[in-house]
Amino acid sequence: MLEVQGLTIRAGTTTLVEDLSLDLAQGRLTCLIGPSGYGKSSVVKWLSGVLAPELQAEGTAIVDGRSAALPHRDIAYQAQQDTLFPWLTICENARLGLEVGGMDRRAANDRVRGLFPAFGLQGHEDSFPDQLSGGMRQRAAFLRTIVQEARVLLLDEPFSALDAVTRLRMQDWLIDRLAERPRAVLMVTHDLYEATQMADRVLVMAGGPGRIVAEISITTPRADRTEATLAEIRSALKSMLLEETP
Amino acid sequence: MMNFWYIFPALVMMSAFLGGWESYVALTDASPLVLPAPSDVLNGLRVERSEIGRHALATLGVAGVGFSLSVIFAFAVSIVLHFSGWLRRGLLPLLIASQTVPIVALAPLMVLWFGFGLLPKVLLVILVTFFPMVISLMSGYASLPRAFRDQLVSLGATRWVVFRRATLPSARAQFFAGLRISATYAIVATIFAEYAGARRGLGIYILSAKNNFRADLVLSAVLVSAGLTLALLAAIHGIERATSRRYRRVSDA
Repeated sequence: MLEVQGLTIRAGTTTLVEDLSLDLAQGRLTCLIGPSGYGKSSVVKWLSGVLAPELQAEGTAIVDGRSAALPHRDIAYQAQQDTLFPWLTICENARLGLEVGGMDRRAANDRVRGLFPAFGLQGHEDSFPDQLSGGMRQRAAFLRTIVQEARVLLLDEPFSALDAVTRLRMQDWLIDRLAERPRAVLMVTHDLYEATQMADRVLVMAGGPGRIVAEISITTPRADRTEATLAEIRSALKSMLLEETP
Repeated sequence: MMNFWYIFPALVMMSAFLGGWESYVALTDASPLVLPAPSDVLNGLRVERSEIGRHALATLGVAGVGFSLSVIFAFAVSIVLHFSGWLRRGLLPLLIASQTVPIVALAPLMVLWFGFGLLPKVLLVILVTFFPMVISLMSGYASLPRAFRDQLVSLGATRWVVFRRATLPSARAQFFAGLRISATYAIVATIFAEYAGARRGLGIYILSAKNNFRADLVLSAVLVSAGLTLALLAAIHGIERATSRRYRRVSDA
């Protein structure tokens, strides 16, 4: 589906990410985990075509076997911060991607409104973002991302701004949404509990310069994932992260 | 309705100021040629109201045309400067330099170059009022959070779409701040232009009142010009409130 080959990102003479390769498959959720500052976000931003201008990147993105220019229609990006525009209603925010993509306003409106119930936002179509709770705003951001029908979703720490309870609810909720419409998902997180709870596969990133040092598949079905069944993987990941963090 | 107790201090200070002035004139027997009492000023305004009104209308017309063109011009310039770093570096010093020119010196030259018609006055109003708007717009454009821009770019938006969808809306609050600053200059700049040469307008009225040693009428006209500026500010405030339910959230956030 999506493949990254030999991605190197530099800030002047400092190398942030070195020769990183990864691949994402349809219907699989991959978590990219590692401490802050190791270039996780930069990888995702590069794939979204929004790498900060002071960074230089070289590498190839391959979509369906063909080298692709970025940003790409089939790759949707959701930033770390909740980037709902405060001057647009939730509905206007949600259809922004469709409109930018050239869809007629009315068609975009119909498509977006149909999804409001599934995202727990019915009745809030014409609310403004500041009238919603953090969890609802995040669901609205997901709505905007998912409605684009891109086959690859890049999520940069989507739950980091939420309180602990809302975060747990949103993790389950997102898994359900993804089950309805399978995509290839790359989710950046620094939370190994979150990663092991949600992912099919965890990529561990280490720093100096940033690279992937381990790839762990989690085969336990999500329904069976508990503290007990995940204990082994979690402790392995934990020691790996501690080891790689100076 | 504005809370009475909120504006109460302003009313007290204003009354104290006017009362003090009125008493000073009464007690010292100051010549009305030099310092007319507030009551003389109001009386002058009453007697001359149709004449002053006619001139005020002319001033308002010039200021209105000049200010409107200035807003359009400021938008055009700010957009050009936003999209072209080359022009920004080239033109910004020139624009700043244009603000260091004293209008007192420039107004008569404008009349010399462009005659007594509308053009020199409108040009002067534009010259004085467009700069605060350009600067406010530019700083408004710069206030767009990077994440907002990234969100649109990742959706495949062009530079223009980013500008229209995110940059421009996020500059709204700063634009109105600049607009208010400019509005306070608009009437004053018009009067200056008329002072240098005009057939009608508060500026020429003030000049002739001064030449006739009618300090009371000078102040009557000044009072009217202050009223015009306040009316302009109120209109802008009204427009901002009427159109901004959704945008107020940006500045409040």
